[in-house]
Amino acid sequence: MSQEIATIRVTRYRPEKDSQPFFQEYKVPYRHDMVVLDALNYIKAELDGSLTYRWSCRMGVCGSCGANIDGEPKLTCASFLHEFKDRTITVEPMSHFPVIKDLVVDMEDFMEKLVKIKPWIIRKKDSLVEEGEYRQSSKELDRYQQFSSCINCMLCYAACPIYGLNEKFLGPAATALAYRYIEDSRDQGKDIRFPIVHEIEGVWECTLVGECSVVCPKGVDPMLAIQRTKILGATNAIKSILMPRGGR
Amino acid sequence: MAENKHYPELRKRLTPGWWTANRHYAMYMVREWTSLFVALYSLIFIYGLSLWATGSRADFLNFLKNPAVIGFSLVALVFTMYHAATWFYLLGAVAPVKIGRSKTKPWQALILNLILLVIVSYLAIWLVVLR
Amino acid sequence: MKMETHKVAKLHAILWGIFSLGGMIAAFLLPVMIYMTAIAYPFGLWPFSRENPACPSCLTLVRDPSLLVTGHLLGALFVFVTIAGSLFHGIFRFQSALTEVGLLKYRRALEAVGYFIIFVGIIVLAYYLIAWYLNGTIT
Repeated sequence: MSQEIATIRVTRYRPEKDSQPFFQEYKVPYRHDMVVLDALNYIKAELDGSLTYRWSCRMGVCGSCGANIDGEPKLTCASFLHEFKDRTITVEPMSHFPVIKDLVVDMEDFMEKLVKIKPWIIRKKDSLVEEGEYRQSSKELDRYQQFSSCINCMLCYAACPIYGLNEKFLGPAATALAYRYIEDSRDQGKDIRFPIVHEIEGVWECTLVGECSVVCPKGVDPMLAIQRTKILGATNAIKSILMPRGGR
Repeated sequence: MAENKHYPELRKRLTPGWWTANRHYAMYMVREWTSLFVALYSLIFIYGLSLWATGSRADFLNFLKNPAVIGFSLVALVFTMYHAATWFYLLGAVAPVKIGRSKTKPWQALILNLILLVIVSYLAIWLVVLR
Repeated sequence: MKMETHKVAKLHAILWGIFSLGGMIAAFLLPVMIYMTAIAYPFGLWPFSRENPACPSCLTLVRDPSLLVTGHLLGALFVFVTIAGSLFHGIFRFQSALTEVGLLKYRRALEAVGYFIIFVGIIVLAYYLIAWYLNGTIT
Protein backbone atom coordinates (compact mmCIF):
# COMPACT_ATOMS: atom_id res chain seq x y z
CA MET A 1 0.00 0.00 0.00
CA SER A 2 1.53 3.28 -1.07
CA GLN A 3 1.60 6.10 1.46
CA GLU A 4 -0.71 9.03 0.67
CA ILE A 5 0.92 12.46 0.60
CA ALA A 6 -0.21 15.97 1.54
CA THR A 7 1.57 19.03 0.17
CA ILE A 8 2.13 21.89 2.59
CA ARG A 9 3.29 25.24 1.24
CA VAL A 10 4.62 27.29 4.09
CA THR A 11 5.77 30.92 4.18
CA ARG A 12 9.43 31.08 5.10
CA TYR A 13 10.93 34.32 6.32
CA ARG A 14 14.30 34.44 8.06
CA PRO A 15 15.06 38.12 8.60
CA GLU A 16 18.79 37.45 9.17
CA LYS A 17 19.08 35.73 5.76
CA ASP A 18 16.16 36.77 3.53
CA SER A 19 14.98 40.22 2.57
CA GLN A 20 11.70 38.79 1.29
CA PRO A 21 9.54 35.89 2.41
CA PHE A 22 9.16 32.89 0.08
CA PHE A 23 7.13 29.71 -0.05
CA GLN A 24 8.69 26.37 0.73
CA GLU A 25 6.89 23.16 -0.18
CA TYR A 26 6.96 20.06 1.98
CA LYS A 27 5.52 16.62 1.26
CA VAL A 28 4.03 15.11 4.37
CA PRO A 29 2.64 11.57 4.79
CA TYR A 30 -1.11 11.97 5.06
CA ARG A 31 -3.49 10.46 7.61
CA HIS A 32 -7.21 11.16 7.66
CA ASP A 33 -7.17 12.47 11.25
CA MET A 34 -4.31 14.91 10.66
CA VAL A 35 -4.62 18.64 11.29
CA VAL A 36 -2.38 21.31 9.79
CA LEU A 37 -0.47 21.59 13.07
CA ASP A 38 0.34 17.84 12.90
CA ALA A 39 1.76 18.42 9.44
CA LEU A 40 3.87 21.36 10.67
CA ASN A 41 5.12 19.25 13.58
CA TYR A 42 6.03 16.45 11.15
CA ILE A 43 7.97 18.91 9.00
CA LYS A 44 9.85 20.28 12.00
CA ALA A 45 10.65 16.82 13.40
CA GLU A 46 11.45 14.94 10.20
CA LEU A 47 12.12 17.34 7.32
CA ASP A 48 13.29 20.78 8.37
CA GLY A 49 14.03 21.69 11.95
CA SER A 50 14.38 25.36 11.08
CA LEU A 51 10.65 25.89 10.43
CA THR A 52 9.32 28.22 13.13
CA TYR A 53 5.73 28.53 14.37
CA ARG A 54 3.85 28.93 17.63
CA TRP A 55 1.80 26.19 19.21
CA SER A 56 1.05 24.78 22.59
CA CYS A 57 -2.13 22.93 23.53
CA ARG A 58 -3.07 21.46 20.08
CA MET A 59 -6.73 21.43 21.13
CA GLY A 60 -8.11 24.92 20.49
CA VAL A 61 -7.69 26.25 24.00
CA CYS A 62 -4.42 28.19 24.08
CA GLY A 63 -4.95 30.29 20.96
CA SER A 64 -1.30 30.37 19.92
CA CYS A 65 -1.32 28.44 16.64
CA GLY A 66 -3.30 30.82 14.41
CA ALA A 67 -2.24 31.19 10.77
CA ASN A 68 -3.73 32.10 7.42
CA ILE A 69 -4.61 28.74 5.91
CA ASP A 70 -5.44 29.01 2.22
CA GLY A 71 -5.92 32.71 2.90
CA GLU A 72 -8.34 32.35 5.81
CA PRO A 73 -7.36 32.96 9.43
CA LYS A 74 -7.71 29.64 11.28
CA LEU A 75 -6.21 27.70 14.15
CA THR A 76 -3.77 25.20 12.64
CA CYS A 77 -4.75 22.69 15.34
CA ALA A 78 -8.42 22.84 14.34
CA SER A 79 -8.02 22.59 10.55
CA PHE A 80 -8.12 19.04 9.23
CA LEU A 81 -6.11 18.28 6.12
CA HIS A 82 -9.04 16.36 4.63
CA GLU A 83 -11.04 19.60 4.48
CA PHE A 84 -8.76 20.92 1.74
CA LYS A 85 -8.91 20.07 -1.94
CA ASP A 86 -6.10 17.89 -3.31
CA ARG A 87 -4.52 17.95 0.13
CA THR A 88 -2.48 20.93 -0.98
CA ILE A 89 -2.49 23.59 1.67
CA THR A 90 -0.91 27.03 1.86
CA VAL A 91 0.02 28.20 5.33
CA GLU A 92 0.95 31.84 5.82
CA PRO A 93 1.44 33.99 8.91
CA MET A 94 -1.67 35.84 10.09
CA SER A 95 -2.33 39.00 8.05
CA HIS A 96 -1.87 42.53 9.35
CA PHE A 97 0.80 41.68 11.96
CA PRO A 98 4.54 42.21 11.58
CA VAL A 99 6.24 38.88 10.91
CA ILE A 100 9.13 37.93 13.18
CA LYS A 101 10.05 34.63 11.58
CA ASP A 102 8.26 32.16 9.28
CA LEU A 103 4.77 31.86 10.80
CA VAL A 104 5.52 33.75 14.00
CA VAL A 105 4.02 37.22 14.23
CA ASP A 106 4.63 40.06 16.65
CA MET A 107 1.77 40.14 19.19
CA GLU A 108 2.95 43.27 20.98
CA ASP A 109 0.27 45.57 19.59
CA PHE A 110 -2.55 43.26 20.61
CA MET A 111 -1.07 42.69 24.06
CA GLU A 112 -0.96 46.45 24.62
CA LYS A 113 -4.59 46.81 23.57
CA LEU A 114 -5.61 43.94 25.79
CA VAL A 115 -4.14 45.61 28.86
CA LYS A 116 -5.47 49.00 27.81
CA ILE A 117 -9.12 47.98 28.20
CA LYS A 118 -8.42 46.74 31.76
CA PRO A 119 -9.66 43.16 31.47
CA TRP A 120 -10.50 42.66 35.11
CA ILE A 121 -13.39 43.47 37.40
CA ILE A 122 -13.19 47.04 38.65
CA ARG A 123 -14.96 47.84 41.93
CA LYS A 124 -15.40 51.30 43.36
CA LYS A 125 -14.45 49.80 46.69
CA ASP A 126 -13.21 46.24 47.01
CA SER A 127 -15.12 44.32 49.63
CA LEU A 128 -13.35 42.23 52.24
CA VAL A 129 -12.83 38.54 51.61
CA GLU A 130 -14.97 37.73 54.68
CA GLU A 131 -17.93 39.47 53.04
CA GLY A 132 -18.04 36.70 50.46
CA GLU A 133 -18.17 36.64 46.71
CA TYR A 134 -19.91 39.10 44.37
CA ARG A 135 -23.04 37.17 43.52
CA GLN A 136 -24.58 37.04 40.08
CA SER A 137 -27.70 35.42 38.61
CA SER A 138 -27.55 33.11 35.60
CA LYS A 139 -29.44 35.76 33.63
CA GLU A 140 -26.73 38.29 34.41
CA LEU A 141 -24.12 35.73 33.40
CA ASP A 142 -25.88 35.20 30.06
CA ARG A 143 -25.36 38.85 29.16
CA TYR A 144 -21.61 38.50 28.79
CA GLN A 145 -20.69 34.82 28.91
CA GLN A 146 -19.95 34.31 25.20
CA PHE A 147 -17.53 37.24 25.21
CA SER A 148 -15.51 35.65 28.01
CA SER A 149 -14.65 32.66 25.78
CA CYS A 150 -11.98 34.62 23.88
CA ILE A 151 -8.64 32.80 23.76
CA ASN A 152 -6.68 35.77 22.38
CA CYS A 153 -5.74 33.93 19.21
CA MET A 154 -5.98 37.18 17.20
CA LEU A 155 -7.66 35.49 14.23
CA CYS A 156 -10.30 38.26 14.35
CA TYR A 157 -7.55 40.85 13.87
CA ALA A 158 -6.14 38.89 10.93
CA ALA A 159 -9.65 38.88 9.42
CA CYS A 160 -10.35 42.56 10.03
CA PRO A 161 -9.51 44.79 7.04
CA ILE A 162 -10.12 47.88 9.16
CA TYR A 163 -7.30 46.81 11.47
CA GLY A 164 -5.23 45.99 8.39
CA LEU A 165 -5.71 49.53 7.12
CA ASN A 166 -5.24 51.28 10.44
CA GLU A 167 -3.51 49.44 13.26
CA LYS A 168 -4.49 52.13 15.75
CA PHE A 169 -8.00 50.64 15.70
CA LEU A 170 -8.71 48.95 19.03
CA GLY A 171 -10.08 45.98 17.12
CA PRO A 172 -12.45 43.06 17.69
CA ALA A 173 -11.05 40.92 20.53
CA ALA A 174 -10.06 43.81 22.79
CA THR A 175 -13.48 45.45 22.39
CA ALA A 176 -15.28 42.15 22.92
CA LEU A 177 -13.38 41.70 26.16
CA ALA A 178 -14.07 45.29 27.22
CA TYR A 179 -17.74 44.67 26.52
CA ARG A 180 -17.56 41.48 28.57
CA TYR A 181 -16.70 43.62 31.62
CA ILE A 182 -19.08 46.43 30.68
CA GLU A 183 -21.93 43.90 30.70
CA ASP A 184 -20.76 42.14 33.87
CA SER A 185 -23.12 43.04 36.72
CA ARG A 186 -20.24 42.81 39.21
CA ASP A 187 -18.17 45.39 37.38
CA GLN A 188 -18.33 49.08 38.33
CA GLY A 189 -15.70 50.39 35.92
CA LYS A 190 -17.86 51.89 33.17
CA ASP A 191 -16.59 55.41 33.83
CA ILE A 192 -13.02 54.18 33.39
CA ARG A 193 -13.62 51.83 30.48
CA PHE A 194 -16.02 53.90 28.34
CA PRO A 195 -13.50 56.65 27.54
CA ILE A 196 -11.07 53.95 26.34
CA VAL A 197 -13.44 52.12 24.00
CA HIS A 198 -15.15 55.32 22.88
CA GLU A 199 -11.92 56.97 21.78
CA ILE A 200 -11.81 57.98 18.12
CA GLU A 201 -9.66 54.95 17.26
CA GLY A 202 -11.82 52.78 19.52
CA VAL A 203 -15.10 51.35 18.32
CA TRP A 204 -15.92 54.12 15.82
CA GLU A 205 -13.41 52.83 13.28
CA CYS A 206 -15.43 49.62 12.87
CA THR A 207 -17.66 49.56 9.80
CA LEU A 208 -19.28 46.20 10.46
CA VAL A 209 -17.44 44.02 7.98
CA GLY A 210 -18.42 41.17 10.28
CA GLU A 211 -15.56 38.84 9.34
CA CYS A 212 -14.26 38.81 12.95
CA SER A 213 -17.36 36.96 14.10
CA VAL A 214 -17.09 34.54 11.17
CA VAL A 215 -13.53 33.42 11.89
CA CYS A 216 -13.71 33.24 15.71
CA PRO A 217 -12.96 29.64 16.71
CA LYS A 218 -14.73 30.04 20.05
CA GLY A 219 -18.06 31.40 18.83
CA VAL A 220 -17.47 34.88 20.22
CA ASP A 221 -19.30 37.63 18.31
CA PRO A 222 -17.00 40.68 18.47
CA MET A 223 -19.08 42.45 15.83
CA LEU A 224 -22.03 42.40 18.23
CA ALA A 225 -19.89 43.64 21.12
CA ILE A 226 -18.54 46.55 19.05
CA GLN A 227 -22.01 47.58 17.83
CA ARG A 228 -23.48 47.43 21.33
CA THR A 229 -20.55 49.48 22.61
CA LYS A 230 -21.18 52.06 19.87
CA ILE A 231 -24.85 52.26 20.80
CA LEU A 232 -23.91 52.78 24.45
CA GLY A 233 -21.45 55.51 23.41
CA ALA A 234 -23.96 57.32 21.21
CA THR A 235 -26.74 57.20 23.81
CA ASN A 236 -24.38 58.42 26.53
CA ALA A 237 -23.19 61.30 24.35
CA ILE A 238 -26.73 62.34 23.45
CA LYS A 239 -27.83 62.03 27.07
CA SER A 240 -24.94 64.17 28.26
CA ILE A 241 -25.99 66.91 25.84
CA LEU A 242 -29.68 66.77 26.73
CA MET A 243 -28.97 66.52 30.45
CA PRO A 244 -25.54 68.10 31.02
CA ARG A 245 -25.88 67.84 34.76
CA GLY A 246 -27.65 64.50 34.94
CA GLY A 247 -25.56 61.39 35.31
CA ARG A 248 -25.41 58.57 32.79
CA MET B 1 11.25 42.28 25.02
CA ALA B 2 14.89 43.14 24.56
CA GLU B 3 16.16 42.71 21.04
CA ASN B 4 19.78 43.06 20.23
CA LYS B 5 19.32 43.11 16.45
CA HIS B 6 16.73 44.98 14.48
CA TYR B 7 15.54 43.58 11.20
CA PRO B 8 13.34 45.45 8.74
CA GLU B 9 9.73 44.96 9.72
CA LEU B 10 7.83 42.63 7.41
CA ARG B 11 4.16 43.28 7.29
CA LYS B 12 1.77 42.69 4.42
CA ARG B 13 -0.11 45.91 3.78
CA LEU B 14 -3.62 45.88 2.37
CA THR B 15 -3.85 47.07 -1.20
CA PRO B 16 -6.85 49.18 -2.33
CA GLY B 17 -8.24 46.03 -3.93
CA TRP B 18 -8.19 43.95 -0.71
CA TRP B 19 -11.95 43.41 -0.87
CA THR B 20 -11.64 41.16 -3.93
CA ALA B 21 -9.92 38.52 -1.78
CA ASN B 22 -13.12 36.75 -0.79
CA ARG B 23 -16.87 36.86 -1.31
CA HIS B 24 -17.66 38.28 2.15
CA TYR B 25 -15.35 41.23 1.63
CA ALA B 26 -16.75 41.87 -1.86
CA MET B 27 -20.36 41.80 -0.62
CA TYR B 28 -19.33 44.15 2.15
CA MET B 29 -17.83 46.61 -0.32
CA VAL B 30 -20.97 46.55 -2.48
CA ARG B 31 -23.00 47.19 0.67
CA GLU B 32 -20.86 50.21 1.58
CA TRP B 33 -21.00 51.63 -1.95
CA THR B 34 -24.80 51.62 -1.92
CA SER B 35 -24.29 54.80 0.11
CA LEU B 36 -23.03 56.60 -3.00
CA PHE B 37 -26.40 56.09 -4.69
CA VAL B 38 -28.33 57.00 -1.54
CA ALA B 39 -26.37 60.25 -1.27
CA LEU B 40 -26.55 61.10 -4.99
CA TYR B 41 -30.30 60.52 -5.16
CA SER B 42 -30.77 62.89 -2.21
CA LEU B 43 -28.61 65.55 -3.85
CA ILE B 44 -30.43 65.15 -7.18
CA PHE B 45 -33.79 65.54 -5.44
CA ILE B 46 -32.59 68.71 -3.72
CA TYR B 47 -31.40 69.98 -7.11
CA GLY B 48 -34.88 69.23 -8.52
CA LEU B 49 -36.46 71.26 -5.74
CA SER B 50 -34.09 74.13 -6.50
CA LEU B 51 -35.38 74.14 -10.10
CA TRP B 52 -38.84 74.61 -8.67
CA ALA B 53 -37.77 77.25 -6.18
CA THR B 54 -35.98 79.31 -8.80
CA GLY B 55 -38.35 78.53 -11.66
CA SER B 56 -41.70 76.83 -11.66
CA ARG B 57 -43.39 73.65 -10.46
CA ALA B 58 -43.37 72.41 -14.05
CA ASP B 59 -39.56 72.62 -14.14
CA PHE B 60 -39.43 70.29 -11.15
CA LEU B 61 -41.91 67.85 -12.70
CA ASN B 62 -40.14 67.88 -16.07
CA PHE B 63 -36.87 67.23 -14.29
CA LEU B 64 -38.41 64.11 -12.73
CA LYS B 65 -39.44 62.95 -16.21
CA ASN B 66 -35.93 63.37 -17.59
CA PRO B 67 -34.85 59.88 -18.78
CA ALA B 68 -31.38 60.28 -17.24
CA VAL B 69 -32.92 61.12 -13.86
CA ILE B 70 -35.32 58.18 -14.13
CA GLY B 71 -32.51 55.84 -15.17
CA PHE B 72 -30.25 56.88 -12.34
CA SER B 73 -33.10 56.71 -9.83
CA LEU B 74 -33.93 53.15 -10.87
CA VAL B 75 -30.34 52.10 -10.29
CA ALA B 76 -30.42 53.99 -7.00
CA LEU B 77 -33.60 52.13 -6.04
CA VAL B 78 -31.89 48.77 -6.58
CA PHE B 79 -28.94 49.81 -4.42
CA THR B 80 -31.23 51.33 -1.79
CA MET B 81 -33.11 48.04 -1.56
CA TYR B 82 -29.80 46.23 -1.17
CA HIS B 83 -28.91 48.69 1.59
CA ALA B 84 -32.31 48.07 3.22
CA ALA B 85 -31.96 44.29 3.08
CA THR B 86 -28.42 44.28 4.51
CA TRP B 87 -29.41 46.87 7.12
CA PHE B 88 -32.37 44.77 8.25
CA TYR B 89 -30.20 41.66 8.39
CA LEU B 90 -27.55 43.38 10.49
CA LEU B 91 -30.25 44.86 12.69
CA GLY B 92 -31.28 41.29 13.44
CA ALA B 93 -27.67 40.33 14.15
CA VAL B 94 -27.02 43.27 16.45
CA ALA B 95 -30.36 43.70 18.19
CA PRO B 96 -32.26 40.41 18.12
CA VAL B 97 -35.82 40.58 19.44
CA LYS B 98 -36.73 38.15 22.19
CA ILE B 99 -39.83 36.15 21.48
CA GLY B 100 -40.60 33.94 24.42
CA ARG B 101 -37.37 32.15 25.25
CA SER B 102 -35.77 32.26 21.84
CA LYS B 103 -34.21 35.19 20.04
CA THR B 104 -34.93 36.10 16.43
CA LYS B 105 -32.36 35.02 13.88
CA PRO B 106 -30.97 37.66 11.47
CA TRP B 107 -32.87 36.21 8.49
CA GLN B 108 -36.11 36.33 10.48
CA ALA B 109 -35.42 39.98 11.27
CA LEU B 110 -34.82 40.53 7.55
CA ILE B 111 -38.23 39.10 6.63
CA LEU B 112 -40.06 40.89 9.46
CA ASN B 113 -38.49 44.20 8.52
CA LEU B 114 -39.24 43.73 4.81
CA ILE B 115 -42.90 43.27 5.73
CA LEU B 116 -42.62 46.35 7.92
CA LEU B 117 -41.06 48.21 4.97
CA VAL B 118 -44.13 47.48 2.82
CA ILE B 119 -46.43 48.71 5.58
CA VAL B 120 -44.37 51.86 6.20
CA SER B 121 -44.22 52.55 2.45
CA TYR B 122 -47.98 52.29 2.13
CA LEU B 123 -48.47 54.54 5.16
CA ALA B 124 -46.08 57.10 3.67
CA ILE B 125 -47.96 57.16 0.36
CA TRP B 126 -51.24 57.43 2.20
CA LEU B 127 -49.93 60.20 4.40
CA VAL B 128 -48.35 62.42 1.76
CA VAL B 129 -50.40 61.67 -1.36
CA LEU B 130 -53.71 59.96 -0.82
CA ARG B 131 -54.96 61.71 2.26
CA MET C 1 -8.53 75.40 17.28
CA LYS C 2 -8.04 72.15 19.08
CA MET C 3 -10.75 70.27 20.88
CA GLU C 4 -10.03 68.00 23.79
CA THR C 5 -9.90 64.35 22.81
CA HIS C 6 -12.94 63.32 24.80
CA LYS C 7 -14.99 66.07 23.19
CA VAL C 8 -13.93 64.93 19.71
CA ALA C 9 -14.88 61.39 20.68
CA LYS C 10 -18.25 62.58 21.97
CA LEU C 11 -18.91 64.48 18.76
CA HIS C 12 -18.00 61.34 16.84
CA ALA C 13 -20.44 59.32 18.93
CA ILE C 14 -23.24 61.75 18.11
CA LEU C 15 -22.39 61.80 14.41
CA TRP C 16 -22.46 58.01 14.44
CA GLY C 17 -25.88 58.15 16.10
CA ILE C 18 -27.20 60.41 13.33
CA PHE C 19 -25.59 58.13 10.72
CA SER C 20 -27.44 55.13 12.19
CA LEU C 21 -30.71 57.01 12.30
CA GLY C 22 -30.07 58.02 8.68
CA GLY C 23 -29.46 54.37 7.79
CA MET C 24 -32.82 53.51 9.31
CA ILE C 25 -34.48 56.31 7.33
CA ALA C 26 -32.76 55.32 4.08
CA ALA C 27 -33.87 51.72 4.58
CA PHE C 28 -37.48 52.40 5.53
CA LEU C 29 -38.41 55.64 3.73
CA LEU C 30 -36.09 56.14 0.77
CA PRO C 31 -37.37 53.19 -1.35
CA VAL C 32 -40.93 54.53 -1.38
CA MET C 33 -39.64 58.02 -2.10
CA ILE C 34 -37.71 56.80 -5.15
CA TYR C 35 -40.69 54.70 -6.23
CA MET C 36 -42.95 57.75 -6.18
CA THR C 37 -40.62 60.15 -7.99
CA ALA C 38 -38.92 57.83 -10.48
CA ILE C 39 -41.48 55.10 -11.22
CA ALA C 40 -45.00 56.04 -10.19
CA TYR C 41 -44.92 59.60 -11.50
CA PRO C 42 -43.10 59.32 -14.84
CA PHE C 43 -44.88 56.07 -15.74
CA GLY C 44 -48.27 57.18 -14.44
CA LEU C 45 -48.70 54.42 -11.88
CA TRP C 46 -50.48 54.35 -8.53
CA PRO C 47 -50.72 56.61 -6.53
CA PHE C 48 -50.18 59.15 -9.32
CA SER C 49 -52.55 59.42 -12.25
CA ARG C 50 -51.55 59.74 -15.89
CA GLU C 51 -52.69 62.79 -17.80
CA ASN C 52 -55.28 61.64 -20.30
CA PRO C 53 -55.22 63.63 -23.57
CA ALA C 54 -58.64 62.22 -24.60
CA CYS C 55 -60.31 63.53 -21.50
CA PRO C 56 -58.98 66.91 -20.39
CA SER C 57 -61.69 67.25 -17.78
CA CYS C 58 -60.36 64.16 -16.01
CA LEU C 59 -57.37 66.27 -15.03
CA THR C 60 -59.23 67.69 -12.08
CA LEU C 61 -57.72 65.08 -9.78
CA VAL C 62 -54.21 64.85 -11.19
CA ARG C 63 -51.72 64.00 -8.50
CA ASP C 64 -48.02 64.55 -8.98
CA PRO C 65 -44.93 64.54 -6.75
CA SER C 66 -45.22 68.23 -6.02
CA LEU C 67 -47.83 66.98 -3.57
CA LEU C 68 -44.99 65.41 -1.61
CA VAL C 69 -43.77 68.85 -0.74
CA THR C 70 -46.79 71.07 -0.83
CA GLY C 71 -49.61 68.67 0.04
CA HIS C 72 -49.44 69.52 3.68
CA LEU C 73 -46.93 69.99 6.45
CA LEU C 74 -46.59 66.27 7.15
CA GLY C 75 -45.61 65.66 3.53
CA ALA C 76 -42.93 68.33 3.71
CA LEU C 77 -41.69 66.80 6.95
CA PHE C 78 -41.58 63.39 5.27
CA VAL C 79 -39.49 64.82 2.44
CA PHE C 80 -37.17 66.61 4.85
CA VAL C 81 -36.59 63.61 7.10
CA THR C 82 -36.11 61.20 4.19
CA ILE C 83 -33.79 63.36 2.11
CA ALA C 84 -31.78 64.88 4.98
CA GLY C 85 -31.40 61.49 6.74
CA SER C 86 -30.41 59.70 3.54
CA LEU C 87 -27.98 62.44 2.57
CA PHE C 88 -26.23 62.33 5.95
CA HIS C 89 -26.13 58.55 5.95
CA GLY C 90 -24.95 58.28 2.36
CA ILE C 91 -22.16 60.86 2.53
CA PHE C 92 -20.93 59.73 5.97
CA ARG C 93 -20.73 56.13 4.84
CA PHE C 94 -19.28 56.87 1.43
CA GLN C 95 -16.39 58.93 2.71
CA SER C 96 -15.58 56.13 5.11
CA ALA C 97 -15.78 53.62 2.23
CA LEU C 98 -13.30 55.74 0.28
CA THR C 99 -10.80 55.57 3.16
CA GLU C 100 -10.96 51.78 2.81
CA VAL C 101 -9.86 51.72 -0.82
CA GLY C 102 -6.58 53.53 -0.43
CA LEU C 103 -7.57 57.07 0.55
CA LEU C 104 -7.00 56.70 4.30
CA LYS C 105 -4.31 59.36 4.25
CA TYR C 106 -6.81 61.90 2.88
CA ARG C 107 -9.34 61.12 5.59
CA ARG C 108 -9.47 64.61 7.11
CA ALA C 109 -9.98 66.19 3.69
CA LEU C 110 -12.68 63.65 2.78
CA GLU C 111 -14.46 64.33 6.05
CA ALA C 112 -14.29 68.07 5.50
CA VAL C 113 -15.74 67.79 1.98
CA GLY C 114 -18.35 65.27 3.19
CA TYR C 115 -19.63 67.36 6.07
CA PHE C 116 -19.64 70.44 3.83
CA ILE C 117 -21.90 68.67 1.31
CA ILE C 118 -24.19 67.42 4.09
CA PHE C 119 -24.37 70.87 5.67
CA VAL C 120 -25.09 72.74 2.44
CA GLY C 121 -27.58 70.11 1.24
CA ILE C 122 -29.60 70.12 4.44
CA ILE C 123 -29.57 73.92 4.73
CA VAL C 124 -30.76 74.36 1.14
CA LEU C 125 -33.49 71.74 1.60
CA ALA C 126 -34.66 73.29 4.86
CA TYR C 127 -34.55 76.77 3.32
CA TYR C 128 -36.88 75.85 0.45
CA LEU C 129 -39.30 74.01 2.70
CA ILE C 130 -39.44 76.75 5.32
CA ALA C 131 -39.79 79.45 2.65
CA TRP C 132 -42.65 77.55 1.00
CA TYR C 133 -44.28 77.04 4.36
CA LEU C 134 -44.01 80.72 5.24
CA ASN C 135 -45.42 81.97 1.93
CA GLY C 136 -48.30 79.54 2.08
CA THR C 137 -47.26 77.12 -0.68
CA ILE C 138 -47.17 74.40 1.95
CA THR C 139 -50.47 74.35 3.75
